[in-house]
Amino acid sequence: MDDPKQSGSKAVHVISGKRGDERVRSRILEEEVQEAVAQGHRRLQIEAYGQHGIGGRLWRAGREAVSIRITGHPGQRVGSMGFPHTAIEVLGPVSDDVGWLNAGAEIVVHGNAGNGAANAMSQGRILVGGNIGARGMTMTKHNPRFSAPELWVLGSAGDYFGEFMAGGIAVICGHEAQTPENVLGHRPLVGMVGGQVFFRGPHGGFSQADARLAPIGEADWDWLLAHLKIFLKKIGRSELWRVFAEREHWQLLVARKPNEKAGRATRSIAAFHREVWDADLGPGGLIGDLTRIDRSAIPLIVTGSLRRFVPVWENQKYAAPCEASCPTGIPVQRRWQLIREGRVDEAVDLALAYTPFPAAVCGYLCPNLCMQSCTRGTAAMAPVDTTRIGQASIRAKLPELPPLSGRRTAVIGGGPAGLSVAWQLRLCGHEAVVYELAGRLGGKFTRVIPESRIPREVIEIELGRVKEVVPHVYLQQPLAREDVSRLREDFDFVVIATGAQKPRMLPIPGIERAVAALDFLEAAKAGTAACGKRVVVIGAGNVGCDAATEARRFGAEDILLLDVQQPASFGRERQAAEAAGARFRWPVVTREITAAGLTLADGEDIAADTIIVSIGDVPDLSFLPEGVAAERGFVKVDADHRTSDPKVFAIGDVVRPGLLTEAIGAGRRVAQSICDESDGRTPAPFRRQMIEKRRVTLEYFDPRITVFSDVHQCGSQCLSCGACRDCGVCVAICPPGAIRRNELGGKNYEYAVNENLCIGCGFCAGACPCGVWNLEENYPLE
Amino acid sequence: MQPERPISPSSLSVKDLRWQILWDKETCTLCGKCTAVCPVNAIELGVFRKRLIEPPVGFLEPPGNITKSYYGVRQKTDPAYACVGCAMCNMVCPNNAIAPMRADEVDKLRFHLDRGGQPRRRGGRRNVPGVLLDRLKFIRISMLTDPALDAGRHEFELRTLLGRVLPPEENLQHIREHGWIPPVREIYPLVIGGMSFGALSPNMWEGLQMGVAYLNEELGMPVRMSTGEGGCPPRLLRSRFLKYVILQIASGYFGWDEILHAIPEMKEDPCAIEIKYGQGAKPGDGGLLMWYKVNRLIAAIRGVPAGVSLPSPPTHQTQYSIEESVAKMIQSMSMAWGFRVPVYPKISGTSTALAVLNNLTRNPYAAGLAIDGEDGGTGAAYNVSMNHMGHPIASNIRDAYLTLVKLGMQNQLPLFAGGGVGKTGNLAANAAALIMLGASGIQTGKYIMQAAAGCLGSESDRCNICNIGLCPKGITAQDPRLYRRLNVDDVAQRVVDVFLSFDTELKKIVAPLGRSTSLPIGMSDALGVDDYRTAERLSIKYVV
Repeated sequence: MDDPKQSGSKAVHVISGKRGDERVRSRILEEEVQEAVAQGHRRLQIEAYGQHGIGGRLWRAGREAVSIRITGHPGQRVGSMGFPHTAIEVLGPVSDDVGWLNAGAEIVVHGNAGNGAANAMSQGRILVGGNIGARGMTMTKHNPRFSAPELWVLGSAGDYFGEFMAGGIAVICGHEAQTPENVLGHRPLVGMVGGQVFFRGPHGGFSQADARLAPIGEADWDWLLAHLKIFLKKIGRSELWRVFAEREHWQLLVARKPNEKAGRATRSIAAFHREVWDADLGPGGLIGDLTRIDRSAIPLIVTGSLRRFVPVWENQKYAAPCEASCPTGIPVQRRWQLIREGRVDEAVDLALAYTPFPAAVCGYLCPNLCMQSCTRGTAAMAPVDTTRIGQASIRAKLPELPPLSGRRTAVIGGGPAGLSVAWQLRLCGHEAVVYELAGRLGGKFTRVIPESRIPREVIEIELGRVKEVVPHVYLQQPLAREDVSRLREDFDFVVIATGAQKPRMLPIPGIERAVAALDFLEAAKAGTAACGKRVVVIGAGNVGCDAATEARRFGAEDILLLDVQQPASFGRERQAAEAAGARFRWPVVTREITAAGLTLADGEDIAADTIIVSIGDVPDLSFLPEGVAAERGFVKVDADHRTSDPKVFAIGDVVRPGLLTEAIGAGRRVAQSICDESDGRTPAPFRRQMIEKRRVTLEYFDPRITVFSDVHQCGSQCLSCGACRDCGVCVAICPPGAIRRNELGGKNYEYAVNENLCIGCGFCAGACPCGVWNLEENYPLE
Repeated sequence: MQPERPISPSSLSVKDLRWQILWDKETCTLCGKCTAVCPVNAIELGVFRKRLIEPPVGFLEPPGNITKSYYGVRQKTDPAYACVGCAMCNMVCPNNAIAPMRADEVDKLRFHLDRGGQPRRRGGRRNVPGVLLDRLKFIRISMLTDPALDAGRHEFELRTLLGRVLPPEENLQHIREHGWIPPVREIYPLVIGGMSFGALSPNMWEGLQMGVAYLNEELGMPVRMSTGEGGCPPRLLRSRFLKYVILQIASGYFGWDEILHAIPEMKEDPCAIEIKYGQGAKPGDGGLLMWYKVNRLIAAIRGVPAGVSLPSPPTHQTQYSIEESVAKMIQSMSMAWGFRVPVYPKISGTSTALAVLNNLTRNPYAAGLAIDGEDGGTGAAYNVSMNHMGHPIASNIRDAYLTLVKLGMQNQLPLFAGGGVGKTGNLAANAAALIMLGASGIQTGKYIMQAAAGCLGSESDRCNICNIGLCPKGITAQDPRLYRRLNVDDVAQRVVDVFLSFDTELKKIVAPLGRSTSLPIGMSDALGVDDYRTAERLSIKYVV
């Protein structure tokens, strides 16, 4: 606190703020003060009457000291924009904003100062011999080019002291404080970013976010002590120095640095959770009393029991569509698999467990529902050709037959249905005795189906195999009702498989001129058929087509098939008839058969030499024993082919007209029921559920393969629906390498998932060519 | 789908879907994370076939024809597995190789989301971009006309009153005569609106409650949260934290048996009782918690058997008129706590709101009225309810406030407004606008879901599957495998962050109005809008 250089006029120049009775305007007084300084006055005494801003802006004095004594009552902003070398002494209190924007003046106030003391000050010092009002030392700065501004207060500071304080030193001595319990006022130092506040006395808190208490260092203390002395001297209270010189009474507040402000001094959430929340609610928090489930955080990608979905290797859980759609239930897919594995013989032999006629039916006569349902068809790819392995089955070898159980079943009818059930019963170890009306076994095989459709030796070989398995056959056995009743008593079960023997004929005039298709085909098969050049077949189904084909063989030149509706014929029969030149006409209704041919309902005459009627056959049920009910001309059975008599089953065309494979499948099914019942087993479901075709992946296969060169190519192009083909794609695709192939001994293996690695992505299911892998929802956790 | 298969009317192509998965073969590492995380199994590993035909130059050899297969991520087109656009695939993809994109035209999927004749329901997003509240400006910047304040450094007491405030003379009279004085709570003006334990996952709910407790106990902000209709965990009922809780009772009365049994053991009264009559975003539609979300835990809290669907009817069954509803329900709920707890109804925004309000003004026990506007919304509901029903909050709250002014009761019956507050991110601005229109306080739900838990929803029908228990963030799922993705502490921290930043923003808005200790409730001369008709309708300034 150096005194400014004293020079210029030593005389005191007095300026009054009053002219007579009139108060001088602030503007006029300012002009007078500036003028006096310009004229060289350096000691001024101003009698103030509330004028604004007295004592500021005296730069005209240059580096010379100017002193201003203010008596009376100065207005606001005494010494505002004060310059260095200006010394202002106010002999009483000051109004608001003393030293506002002070740029270097020293202002001594012998009394209290109002609000806003030192607001925005950046140089100089203000010494107040009393208290200050609100917002003192606010927005002060320290320009590094000059020394720091200072505010000295003998008493206390008002509220909001030091707001936005960015620099400078404030000293609050707390002597005879206006608010002795709190010398810094309410909410001091909010937004403080720089400077120091020395204070003496109690405080009521300060902005912890912005300021902190700091120890008073030696240099600080020395400075404070020295400057206190000067302050007290200037305000005329030197006697207080000894009282103030107690170091322990002083405290120092400094601004927090930006990095010190960053962290709020609050408890962390984790600590709150532990120390407050769980402490009050109990372990497990909000619902710890209701559940013990672990609720700690988990990542998005998880393994083990936390996976939402888990892969399951469902090898052979479902039937391939070929197997599922085969009425006989032959596992066609399994046969191709055996071929892929190089086990061709096993593949061939396997069929005999399901049918006695794998070659005749699968290879030639069946419309091959297996191929129609082949999954390859969903992408318009050629189905795997079952007929190839069917035909190969001609050399299938019989399995070893088990010893006979003693259970006996009488089978009435030696056609496909009857031989199927007898065959299956014997494979299970039960005896079957076949009663056949005709002179030889085989039913439609041997009597009706044209040889153009199947080579004779195929049937002979397969029938020969049947005879090895079913030795007890009684041919030419017309059975009457009482015979059947007797069989029912003598045997454990009776199976009726007599087929549909009676051709249906139209109830029209001249029908006696027509020949039934069944009779015609039988004669044709026997080589004794006769027909004219012009043949009309009434009924254009597959039997009608067979008749047309055979008629051609026996010399017909013009063959016409009629039907009342769109012909139901399809497949090989239809193709053969068309190849024989047969024409199809529909819808037509026949009114009459005449010597010349036939007349249609609309009167049209069609010339014909031979008229064959092929509108279906019905069974002859005259032999049915009491207790076996019929319905609309057929034997009535339940879903298991059991008739109303529990000891009697009925299968094949005697139940309803159908395909050979349906008759054979029914035989197999009945045999299974009889075996289950004989062995006291709970009947197993006849077939597995079919796999959803969409699970199978076709993209691994070349759609341009439309014909198959041999069974091996068939095997390779089979999709192996629902059955693992051991390709290892799943092992290769699994992103975390969680899938392993385990040898289970022999030819058995499994693919297994390490659940501690698996993330449940389902890539195995997506990549599996066979639809074996499935992605299932994991078990519920709570 | 195999192109050779027959199609049905609902056979859609990827192009027809609302969200289309863009997958990049080049950057994909086939790590499986996207398919593992997809909440709706919309994507799977696909096997693709690729042909390479190489005609030889000069035809010296036969043309090459190589067929190969390769793997990639395939989007399913079955509407049952349609991508919901949540983009969790993108979140887990290490190479940014996959992301859903919104269809570039109106999707066909929307016409096929009603299998079995069940109209589409979705998880509580209204999907209307923009909100009127965003257009309201605070035009009174009173730097000199009122003492302007500094939002950052001045002291603010942003509090509001929940409860019936008696006129001073009446209050004095009651005190003199030892009469009953209605309970009034001084609370923070932003209330977390009712989202039930059950609608929300345990971790989400606990995170919210703990965040609220933290705000109260560590930061001195008296924030309150409504339970929604789903009861309240027994421990919370018996803890001191109950005073931060507004217990909601709604038409299903779920959990109230447990609440009543807890009353004798309560350490604190709850903040208030909210009687829910309607939800703004799906008015007229009741609540339905599907059976698969009702696990043992939810069942215990709601006081029902596990594994059954819990429908809340659209109406309270034993109430037949406004008079009766108000009198009966408010009285009953007040009685439960000896008339110490404020009880107020919450209705959906409606053209009949004034009828309810008029009724409440005549009921001395009514502690306030909460009106929930059509926008926003967190509850699952039918599409048609969400898209086509409801009343905007702005005019509703304004009319209600002006009605109170007419009756001279604007300081007596507080109004709480909700519905789309902050739906575009402007929580404080929307809240302040509603306050200046006349609301004493604001309820917000969706903003909290979004900000406190990272809800993926947007106003473009993204995700929106809160109702089926598959929330990929674990906010509305009851399966621990999903809700454990949400860390309780993180939610609490975000609640704290949200309220602190809201507080600063609200101060930034009210400080220039010179308000620091009383909210500018109904201070409509501070509000302006650039649409004349809107200004007229809301009795605010038209500014351009």
